[in-house]
Amino acid sequence: MKKMTLLLLMLQLIIMFTIGCATTQKKNDYSAFKAADPHSILVLPVVNRSVDVDAPDYFLSTLTIPLAERGYYVFPVDMVKHLLEDDGMSDADLVHNADTMKLCSLFGSDSNLYVSIERWDAKYMFLSTQVTVDFDYKLKDCKTGDLIWSARKGMVYSPQQQNRSGNPLADLVVMALSAAITKASPNYMPLAHQVNGTVFAYPQGQGLPAGPYLKEYRKDYEK
Amino acid sequence: MPYKIFSMFFTVIVIFLFLQGCASNRNYAWGKYDSTLYSHYKNPQDKGKNLEKLKEITENAEKEDRVPPGLYAEYGYALYESGNTSEAIINFEKEKAKWPESNIFMEKMIRNVKRQEENLKKSSAVSTSGSEEVGK
Repeated sequence: MKKMTLLLLMLQLIIMFTIGCATTQKKNDYSAFKAADPHSILVLPVVNRSVDVDAPDYFLSTLTIPLAERGYYVFPVDMVKHLLEDDGMSDADLVHNADTMKLCSLFGSDSNLYVSIERWDAKYMFLSTQVTVDFDYKLKDCKTGDLIWSARKGMVYSPQQQNRSGNPLADLVVMALSAAITKASPNYMPLAHQVNGTVFAYPQGQGLPAGPYLKEYRKDYEK
Repeated sequence: MPYKIFSMFFTVIVIFLFLQGCASNRNYAWGKYDSTLYSHYKNPQDKGKNLEKLKEITENAEKEDRVPPGLYAEYGYALYESGNTSEAIINFEKEKAKWPESNIFMEKMIRNVKRQEENLKKSSAVSTSGSEEVGK
């Protein structure tokens, strides 16, 4: 019996990891990206279209690691945010509407990443909580100001919906997961990390191509 | 019987993981970088703790020789905010040396901090400046 629980626990962990890897298949056009060939990314403060006032800062903290691990130089997000605030640009909307090239020249970046939170909410239901996040990513080239890459990705965590899988084993895992995630107040961070992981990965011709610090640099276009 | 199903399922998932290349082998020693940033945004007033954590992460990453991009700069900026301008400049220099992409930005920061240091010296010669209390 003890072995069973251990096995279940492992299963649960693995499923958590794989969820972040599932993607939809759609080929992007990378010609503009190839021409721009960005080596560095300036992550600008996040625009918030949800009702949660803390969401943009929390989400900002999740972007650096997956981008840098993708092989890019990522500008220090918190420092950039503070300096922009000192310059009177504490409003993320203002920053996003500002001239791209001017922002580039301030920091010397190759590309700027504009992220907005479209959804970041939790609906309480009788027995469970449905947590939704939805993000919009746009990467703009600093030489031309053009859009060179974009992605839109949302994720819903809804235990009730998944309970109807028909597979008792999967249901068990989902229930355990659900308890873990909604135990405290709804925790958006695991979902946010998963969405970023999916968006910045490069599976089957979608996602962000590898940057110059990775071996796959300039090779993964061909796949 | 359920055991067989378990182990089969397990193997399939493991193989799937390898094929997808999702195993998270990180190139840099991030330590608790993201959770540090998160708690910094959760409790922005606790600047001392943030500085301490950044120091720890930076030192560990240096030991492993896998310092991630932006970390020296972030740590340097926290130092600058605490009033420790000389250490801040050292870290901005380190960022610049390690990551050529940060050159323009770091040059600008170093210039600004140095200018501030000089202004502070001039003004503190006349009157006591308010920024002394944030130092050590």
